[in-house]
Amino acid sequence: MFQFEKQAVAENMMSAEIYYQQVVTSSWGSLNTSDEISGIHTVSTRRRGRMSQLIRSHIPPRTERMAVDQDWSSVYPTAAAFKPASVPLPIRMGYPVKGGVPPPKEGNLELIKIPNFLHLTPPAIKKHCAALRDFCTEWPSALDGDEKCEQHFPVEIETVDYVSAGTSIRNPKARIVTLRVKLSNLNLDDHAKKKLIKLVGKRYCKDTDVLTIITDRCPLRRQNYDYGIHLLTVLYHESWKTEAWESEKTEEDMEEYIWENSSSQKNALDTLLQIKATENVSNVTKEELLASEVVRNYRNSVIALKNEGETESNMSQYKESVKKLLNIQALP
Amino acid sequence: MAAAMAVRALRALPHIRIPALPASCSLHTTPPRLKTRAARVRVGKGDKAVTYEKAHPPHYIAHRKGWLSLHTGNLDGERCAAQRAVEDSFVRRFLHGTFPGCLADEAVLKRRSNSLLVCLLLLRRLPPSKLCFLLGYAETLLSHLYKCPVRIEAQTVPDAAVYKYL
Repeated sequence: MFQFEKQAVAENMMSAEIYYQQVVTSSWGSLNTSDEISGIHTVSTRRRGRMSQLIRSHIPPRTERMAVDQDWSSVYPTAAAFKPASVPLPIRMGYPVKGGVPPPKEGNLELIKIPNFLHLTPPAIKKHCAALRDFCTEWPSALDGDEKCEQHFPVEIETVDYVSAGTSIRNPKARIVTLRVKLSNLNLDDHAKKKLIKLVGKRYCKDTDVLTIITDRCPLRRQNYDYGIHLLTVLYHESWKTEAWESEKTEEDMEEYIWENSSSQKNALDTLLQIKATENVSNVTKEELLASEVVRNYRNSVIALKNEGETESNMSQYKESVKKLLNIQALP
Repeated sequence: MAAAMAVRALRALPHIRIPALPASCSLHTTPPRLKTRAARVRVGKGDKAVTYEKAHPPHYIAHRKGWLSLHTGNLDGERCAAQRAVEDSFVRRFLHGTFPGCLADEAVLKRRSNSLLVCLLLLRRLPPSKLCFLLGYAETLLSHLYKCPVRIEAQTVPDAAVYKYL
């Protein structure tokens, strides 16, 4: 809505005043006169209601009356279009004509089109901060590091709000909720952790130990948040339970390589027993063999190879352990 | 670019003639000349004053010209670009009719979240009282039509800024 000084204008029509002067001094500051010829004040005439009788008053623009140390935030308190009569800068904008210069700022549509930041000078921003400080509260002093924050608030909820220019505030992407939690913060034993990782599949990142749940199947953000929390609760409780069919877990289902009761253990023990038999050593039991250091070394190196993959150190460790196991000193 | 290539391709074709029937006249045709005429002021005698806006055809947008209407609808993943376009065209027609003969140049429409900011360059053809009334009338009517705050920032110029003469 506009503020319309009816009184001032009525006075204007009645008395013999210069019209455009009145417009400039009226409280409706959005109407500006952009002037090229300054200092010419035409004699006022009484309005006769015809266009040709209108006077064209050439009042100098406001820029000529601006002090160098004026308060700029009162000239541009909010975001506004570029007003050439209010900005005391000799700006030119546009592609120049051949042999000419870019067009001046008066009546320059290009300067009006672009967004300007005349309302965001550093002193203006300082004023904004000072005004906002009253509404701010201090950060809790107990949470002075990332670890403390994670320890007290292990579950991170991420939501996005979308702002756009238009009459509608709705955006369907705003209902998506992302839940992040580190499994080390959850109270899980070995079986529960493995079961949880199997249940969530791709949502778990092994490098960062973070479980990410992204929910967007409900129409509202609150509903998606509730669903995400519900999923986390259900996963936690289900991973602690042991179902009857979990005992049928085979070697292919194992997440990591376990040497006990594997074919590698069987083969190593059989080989060692055969070696012992040919050397006619008294019967050594399997437990003794398993506890012996060479077998321990072999076990560690095989587990490292299978779980971590083939690296230089792993392969050399395996070579050493096999040499010790089979007692081959001669080969390099 | 595409239009120029099409013109050259068509000019390469032979003249299209209707097969000559006995005892009939044949038509003389010229190859079709496809010239883009969108938003272009054709060069004349040198007496036509044009503004910067009119002097530059549309392929200079983003090179020498800015956009007359600013909103987020055309960004990636944003919605309602078509609604904004329809609103823009209506507002321009409305302003063209409300300020007859007073618009020095095209209106610049800026959208800041919900509000619509209309930047007008007006000529000093109307007395200020009428101008004030029309500005208020336009603001109120547009606000009620679009259910959003509409603000008009008007500047008056003695004459439309002439860029060149075509």
